[in-house]
Amino acid sequence: MTDTPSDPTTPPASNPHTLNLGFLTIVQDGSGVFGGYLVTNSWGRPLEFRLTTAVQPNRVQQILYGPTLTEYLHAELIGKTLVEKTSVAPSLIITDSLPALGLRDRLQIPVVAVRIGATDDGPEILQLTHPRSSVMLAYLAKYPDDKAAIDERLDRIDSAVDLAEPFARIREAVAEARKMGVTSRAA
Amino acid sequence: MRLEELDEPFVVESVSLAEYPDALRFPRFEAPLSAGVRESRLLTQAPWVRSLGKLDMTVQTEGWKFPAPPPELDRPPRPMTEKAEPKLTEPTLPDRARPDATEKKRIRTRPTSDMVLTKDRLLFLLQPPLDGLFLGKQLEVPFEPFPYQLEGIAFLMPRHSALLADEMGLGKTAQAILALRLMFHQGLVKSVLIVTPKPLVHNWCRELKLWAPDLPHEVFPQDPDLRRSAWKVSNCPVKLINYEALTRDADMASDPSIYFDVVVLDEAQRIKNKDAKTAQAVRSLHRSRSWALTGTPIENHADDLVNIFAFVDPGRVPSDTPPKRIAQLTSDCILRRTKDDVQSDMPPKILRDLEVELTPAQRYAYDRAENDGIVQLNELGDTISVQHVFHLVMRLKQICNFDPLTGESAKLEQLMTDMEEVASSGRKAIIFSQWVEPLLVLAKALDGFGTLQYHGRIPQAERTPILDRFKADPDKHLLLMSYGSGSVGLNLQFTNYVFLFDRWWNPAVEDQAINRAHRIGQRFPVTVTRFQAEGTIEGRIAGILEAKRKVFNDLLSQADKPANLGLTEDEVFGLFDIKARPKRAG
Repeated sequence: MTDTPSDPTTPPASNPHTLNLGFLTIVQDGSGVFGGYLVTNSWGRPLEFRLTTAVQPNRVQQILYGPTLTEYLHAELIGKTLVEKTSVAPSLIITDSLPALGLRDRLQIPVVAVRIGATDDGPEILQLTHPRSSVMLAYLAKYPDDKAAIDERLDRIDSAVDLAEPFARIREAVAEARKMGVTSRAA
Repeated sequence: MRLEELDEPFVVESVSLAEYPDALRFPRFEAPLSAGVRESRLLTQAPWVRSLGKLDMTVQTEGWKFPAPPPELDRPPRPMTEKAEPKLTEPTLPDRARPDATEKKRIRTRPTSDMVLTKDRLLFLLQPPLDGLFLGKQLEVPFEPFPYQLEGIAFLMPRHSALLADEMGLGKTAQAILALRLMFHQGLVKSVLIVTPKPLVHNWCRELKLWAPDLPHEVFPQDPDLRRSAWKVSNCPVKLINYEALTRDADMASDPSIYFDVVVLDEAQRIKNKDAKTAQAVRSLHRSRSWALTGTPIENHADDLVNIFAFVDPGRVPSDTPPKRIAQLTSDCILRRTKDDVQSDMPPKILRDLEVELTPAQRYAYDRAENDGIVQLNELGDTISVQHVFHLVMRLKQICNFDPLTGESAKLEQLMTDMEEVASSGRKAIIFSQWVEPLLVLAKALDGFGTLQYHGRIPQAERTPILDRFKADPDKHLLLMSYGSGSVGLNLQFTNYVFLFDRWWNPAVEDQAINRAHRIGQRFPVTVTRFQAEGTIEGRIAGILEAKRKVFNDLLSQADKPANLGLTEDEVFGLFDIKARPKRAG
């Protein structure tokens, strides 16, 4: 049985039996911005899934938050909330949103973003490759030690796993949950 | 002009008003200032001031926790020994502009239409794709399953009621085992009972070791006390029992305290008779999921399917359901693929209907037996029964095999020639017959080809070693089998020739026999020779059965109406030119 630590932001990396991956996707549509979060074991099996209601910043909020709005929404409001509310702790968080890399400032867990194509994301972002991902990975340059931690965790994942793959599942599950009225219920 | 550009320094001097008496003096303003109450509301109240609203943002969440793998299956990932270069030039992340672009290629589990709980639906939507899953290190398999087998696994996993009706040889056993294995790993099931014909128990054990080496399994012992312990005490996750033992243990099988997450029924056509004790015992098992495996869900009549569904999903198909409605009611629970569907994955099966001319002695014996037989049948008048006709048919078929006086056999002569070719090419063949006696004769005649026998007169304990020897010994080129003993479940895909020395009554049984060799794992074409004595009863029976063979597949593809696949009484009487018919009541 997978351990369920009391503090989900504390990765159980010391336990070789527990290497869980947290996949965070941020979706924007007509209803606003919302997130889906899937925790899997080291070979991609789902352990826990959580999603948020949509948030639609008003004009004043857009002005007041200014350029920090996107990171606030992706990393703080949606990402951190999802990780903290989820009982299964991840050893590594993978996201398809570059602004959600800011989650790393808020949690003691390495965070990587999957990047399609060789995009130059600026000096704040470093890129890396790994056999467990069919696409480029990115992480925050201000956490240089994370690279070793990310590599160490990815090396322990089953070779059948591709970090870019679960996002299709999550989006489909989000669509299914919304179709069944889950998000309106949560709201 | 700027100060620094002046020629002379700019000096500021004070000026005294006393030197300018004409200057005006302003009165001193001494009255105190006071703000009225009416002015104070100007900037603090509506309509000049509006609320900014909530500045902070919040979201609410809802989540689902899924079953976790049991500790014994939640092993740490094995360390990676080599690093391959990532394929950065071909990203597989779905393009948001075309969300289905990549997903169409993946084989994934889907929730069923009758799955109502959001958690269940999400669980199966969130399962990793099956294609590629078995390439990883976590799930060891001897070779990666074929795509259609992955689709079979994706079909089984979410279903509580499922009938996997793939044509024989497509690997139903492996699909069921892998589906169970994945469900064990997901923590969805903890106890499984597999019910199988007795001769296939060994085969299931072998397949379990092959496809699910991490799942412990046990076979119900023969001793009644030990069997009771297996029912009541053992917590082995996968148990195997044969139909006969299950029927004997019907009381324990129906005990509500004994519960299985999945019951898998192999060769499920065994419960086609709903009133049989076996069928009753199977239906009485307390279970969450009911999976049936059979390549011949309809052996004789559409009711066979109805009765299998009495186990698969009790109540789904009422016993008086019109045949046309059966397909509608069951289609969501049935998956059937034929070899034609997966042709690209399988070498071809070559059917050769070989008409042989009876030897003079056989022809004489045959004609005399048929003519005399018809006369005798007509003399029976209305006391005639279908059994009388069957008697004659059997007698004639035996003559088609061997002349009763001389032992001559046109089929054997041809067989000797064919076997020379089989043996010289280093390949192996199986010969099927309806009776054991012809097999014993053939065993002597064909002894030079390294002949082995597998039929009802071979003790059960000796059968598996015989199959192992046939497989391993390069000098053993021929296996003689009876339809009854060797037509189901056995994996003989290292054999490339199948001879049907005589024909069975039901084409489904013949297919079962043929597919011992023509099944998954076969790497070469399989040649099937169906002997038929020219101008005899064999040709007439084959004609009727061939026409009926098509109906079998028609029902499963929701075609018109089902029919009896064996011979009807009228068809049996129609085999001969006889006028007599049984007297019917009313």
